[in-house]
Amino acid sequence: MTTTAMPALVATTAQVVVVVAGGPLLVGVMRQVRARLEGRAGAGIAQPWRDLRKLLRRAPASPTGTGWAFRLAPLLLMATSFVLAAVVPLLTTASPLDPAADLFAVVGLLALGTVTLALAALDTGTAFGGMGASREITILALVEPTILVSVFALSARVGSTNLAEIVAATLHDPLSVASPASLLAAAALAIVVVAETGRLPVDNPATHLELTMIHEAMVLEYAGADLALIEWASSMRLTVLLGLLASLFAPWGIAGASLVALPLALLAFTAKVTVLGAGLGAAEVFIAKLRLFRVPELLAGSFVLALLAVTSSFFLV
Amino acid sequence: MNVIASALAAACILAAAGVVAAICVPRRARPALVGAATAGIGVAGLVAGVAALRGEAFAAQLPDLLPLVGLQIELDPLGGWFVMVTGGVLAVTALYGIGYAGHGHGPSGRAVQAALPVFGMALLLVPAAGSASTLLLLWELMAVTSLVLVLAEHRARPEVAQAGAWYAVLTHAGFVTILLGLVLFAAHAGGDSFAALRDAHPSPAVRGAVFVLVFAGFGSKAGLVPLHVWLPRAHAEAPSPVSAMLSAGMVNLGAYGVIRVGFDLLGGGSRWWWLLVLAAGAASALYGILQAAVAADLKRLLAYSTVENMGLIFLGLGAAGVFRTAGASALAALAMTAALLHVLNHAGFKALLFAAAGSVVRATGTRDLDALGGLRPRMPVTTVLFAVGALGASALPPGNGFVSEWLLLQSLVHTLPAGGVVTAVAMPIAVAVVALTAGLAVVTFVKALGIGFFARPRSDAAAAATESPPSMLAAMALLAAACSGLALAPTVLAPALSRAAGAASGAPAAVVDGRVSLHLAGIASTMSPLLIAAALAAAVATTAVLVRLMAARVRRRRAVPLWDCGAGPPTPRMQYTATSFAEPVQRVFDDVLAPETDVDVTPHAESAYLVARVAYQARVPDRVEHGVYAPIIAAARGLGRLGPVLANGSVHRYLAYGFLGITGLLLILAVTR
Amino acid sequence: MTDTTYPLYLDLAAGLFLLSAVGVLWRHQLAPMIRLVGLQGAALAAIVTLIGVHQHSLELILVALGLGVLRAGVLPYLVRRALGGTASEARETRPVVNTATSLLAAAILTLLAYAVTRPLVALAPTPATTILPAAVAVVLIGFFVLVTRRRALSQVVGFLLLDNGITATAFLAAAGVPLIVELGVSFDLLLVVLVLQVLTTRLRAAFGSSDLDELRELHD
Repeated sequence: MTTTAMPALVATTAQVVVVVAGGPLLVGVMRQVRARLEGRAGAGIAQPWRDLRKLLRRAPASPTGTGWAFRLAPLLLMATSFVLAAVVPLLTTASPLDPAADLFAVVGLLALGTVTLALAALDTGTAFGGMGASREITILALVEPTILVSVFALSARVGSTNLAEIVAATLHDPLSVASPASLLAAAALAIVVVAETGRLPVDNPATHLELTMIHEAMVLEYAGADLALIEWASSMRLTVLLGLLASLFAPWGIAGASLVALPLALLAFTAKVTVLGAGLGAAEVFIAKLRLFRVPELLAGSFVLALLAVTSSFFLV
Repeated sequence: MNVIASALAAACILAAAGVVAAICVPRRARPALVGAATAGIGVAGLVAGVAALRGEAFAAQLPDLLPLVGLQIELDPLGGWFVMVTGGVLAVTALYGIGYAGHGHGPSGRAVQAALPVFGMALLLVPAAGSASTLLLLWELMAVTSLVLVLAEHRARPEVAQAGAWYAVLTHAGFVTILLGLVLFAAHAGGDSFAALRDAHPSPAVRGAVFVLVFAGFGSKAGLVPLHVWLPRAHAEAPSPVSAMLSAGMVNLGAYGVIRVGFDLLGGGSRWWWLLVLAAGAASALYGILQAAVAADLKRLLAYSTVENMGLIFLGLGAAGVFRTAGASALAALAMTAALLHVLNHAGFKALLFAAAGSVVRATGTRDLDALGGLRPRMPVTTVLFAVGALGASALPPGNGFVSEWLLLQSLVHTLPAGGVVTAVAMPIAVAVVALTAGLAVVTFVKALGIGFFARPRSDAAAAATESPPSMLAAMALLAAACSGLALAPTVLAPALSRAAGAASGAPAAVVDGRVSLHLAGIASTMSPLLIAAALAAAVATTAVLVRLMAARVRRRRAVPLWDCGAGPPTPRMQYTATSFAEPVQRVFDDVLAPETDVDVTPHAESAYLVARVAYQARVPDRVEHGVYAPIIAAARGLGRLGPVLANGSVHRYLAYGFLGITGLLLILAVTR
Repeated sequence: MTDTTYPLYLDLAAGLFLLSAVGVLWRHQLAPMIRLVGLQGAALAAIVTLIGVHQHSLELILVALGLGVLRAGVLPYLVRRALGGTASEARETRPVVNTATSLLAAAILTLLAYAVTRPLVALAPTPATTILPAAVAVVLIGFFVLVTRRRALSQVVGFLLLDNGITATAFLAAAGVPLIVELGVSFDLLLVVLVLQVLTTRLRAAFGSSDLDELRELHD
């Protein structure tokens, strides 16, 4: 281990730990904001952690007829979330995994997590599992063009799709954040994040009616430690995606390879993600869930935003 | 002696031996011997291809084999790449075919068995052809033998004959356009050898005409929309090892033809050629994967996925051509590299998927996904192998399809320096098409794996399935290992790829290099599939350990019944089927797919308001087939109706036709001279 | 406002100008569509103001003020009054081309606008001309709305988009039009909106809805 690699490794580990520990807290913050705005007291921001602890103590269930696809999915989902938390520049741009996984690979890893869960849902052989998988995968397919075209808009001026390079370029030229290309891409990616994490108006994470479920219908058969892993991984994905949004469009405070800037980076990251999460939670109070077949309109809209971002990055240079 | 020469000679000798074996050996031992010979041909091809990619050159003239022009065989790195891919596919699928046919399945008739080694040899030699006439001869040999193979099971199922008819017509129409194109080209050159064609400089109009003709012909072989209609029929109805050879081997040669003629012989050409290729590729990719996403027939799904992947390859070729005409040679080489690598990756996972689908057909007797399910406990190894192929086909990391699509996207995304309005408009759309294609590929293969293999059996046939014999599993395992190797260590191929892409574009360039990570020339993006896979594996292990530590008191898993909303246990009939899984996609793309649904309500005899039964029928027809081919067929049929009028059985009339023909000709000669 | 921030503000105003047109395609309700047209009028006024401030031209700033009052205030107000309180008329229920396809069409139209204005921009690449594609795209999208929407009031909205686009094109490409021409055009616009408002009212009185396809019945 060389002396320069050591701080990067520490920073990356810190990043993973922050996401692992902070994910449930972020969900707690969002629920609390929502509860307060709806005039309820709320359960406190640590409630997701208490839920996880309770679930982890219970034995996982193997419903009749399920096999390795069902049992492996929580592990794989958690693993993709781990890798994402290590790759995406949240606290540091010096992750040793950064050259290994660029933005396309990040998108692929996100999709991989969703796919394992969908396959597990199909493995149960129930109507709800199939329904959830079918809907989730359809939305995944429709989200893909928006993401990749936004990546195009972001990487075109940098000449690289690696996240650290994009973030570094933005830090170097802060005014580029206010350019139309960047703003449009931010708007497009915000819609994508909402769709990918199953928040309103695409999916309602708090629903108890199976027929309206998307994500929840897929995990209906899980219990105990398996369910804890899935909930945990979902909160980590949410944290990473909000953090990614923050890093791409407001990268200030991110540390390089030095450990000195790490506490500041941690502070900035917490503030940014909390603000984004609270905003998302507050917005959810005011919007209703879209019908499933109105979701393509929303995603077509986000695709137009992304395409306009590319176009403007071409004609405004 | 030259390695390539001996390998190719061995392939020809093995083909002859295979034909002799097919004719002389009794039926029981026939598939094994012929299969072994074909596998040998494949291995020979692999050796020749690898040798050519390592830099060995080979050219031979065989003037006595064909009257007037003779045969010319020549192998450069570009041809070597395709020979290597085809050889690998042939070797493994022939091995698989031995097991497939060995248990009373599949064809063992003389004609079919004799056609197999000849087809293999023709497939190998097409990329090694050194002149237009040699190429055409081998192309036709390949077309005819493949037709025999497609028709192998025509006695058992009437659809096979129909598929054969479509295939015969389109493949020969394609052959005619290639023939016209190359003849036109050769007429403006000093000869028909590739060297002579390379030196010829016909006028732009002639070059454009040659390219369009040749592109139409090769495009029909590669299954580009709207010339794809034969592909989902022929590949679905052929015996599964043949499907694998066609889908993973033969269609690639369409791409080879376009590279050889467009880039190498015509030297690049104008921008509109490549925009045409780009548009055709994009349309094929989208249309193919949309049809695959809503298909309920496993082999039809895979065949449409072939249309999609060929579309992606042609999209890459089109992009390479556009970049080349814009003067961005590094980007052009990158796009070409991506297309070539995708040829290999697609061959790997598609051969594996067709082989696994063949095992399913063999075990259950059905290809209908709506009737499958529950194969995971019954065919565990096949399920895992299909999953490996599906991971590659859905272009997710760490699958092999992801690597080539990553390269393709990199070439499309970094177009800013290449400039120009056309690239600025075309490339974002191309990226969107590739992205939507990748997304729908995920839908398709989650459906194929999740509905077809997981869950509970939807029919008695699926419930009675048993695992395939070891020889078939071994062949599939080889393919799966190749796919995994390609997925994890694509950098091993970097020098070979650079040589092949260099031969195609005329300028050798090291586009891709690096050991663990992929590094690109001129672009700062890097990616390492090996590290991603390692990180994922490490993360799975960490998670497993974490769960153990945090949930120290966790006992064993509880076996519980499925959640049934308190309404009694759910039956397998309540599961989602392939059709219902794809319904949201079908509704979203309603305007493109134009599905047909019939609802037939039969009321009770006593009252019109009491419903006795409701019949619901939904199908997604191939819209291109209905829109484009139905009018053509109707016109042909109209012409055919003239037949009985002209030929009414009177011998005098037939003689009169001949007489009038000769006198008419003489009259014309007399008048014009 | 410095020379570095001028293009930035101009770009942002143009982005708003184009996005509000896309938003019109996105929404089903007529009321938000009208609000978006008002927003677009404001963006247009902002573009003209920016050019005026940059060129130190008081006349342009005055024109911008007039434009703002008319297009962000008076015209949306008139259209909203025509909308009235009728709930059945408040939605564009069945456009000829569905919303998702319309949005994709808008994307293609924008690319087309970009491609056709490229030579124009290349003639004189100033910050003002580089956003010309957005203006032309709005013209095309406005036309698209006219072609594909059924309600008479959506037609008015489409017409307003078209005219906003043309005005913006004029200011960006020709560095402004004479005051008198602009005044004439604006009065024309006002007249058209009033006429269409009357037409809508009559249509609704005659057929009970303002679906323009109902006009086909007059033919029989």
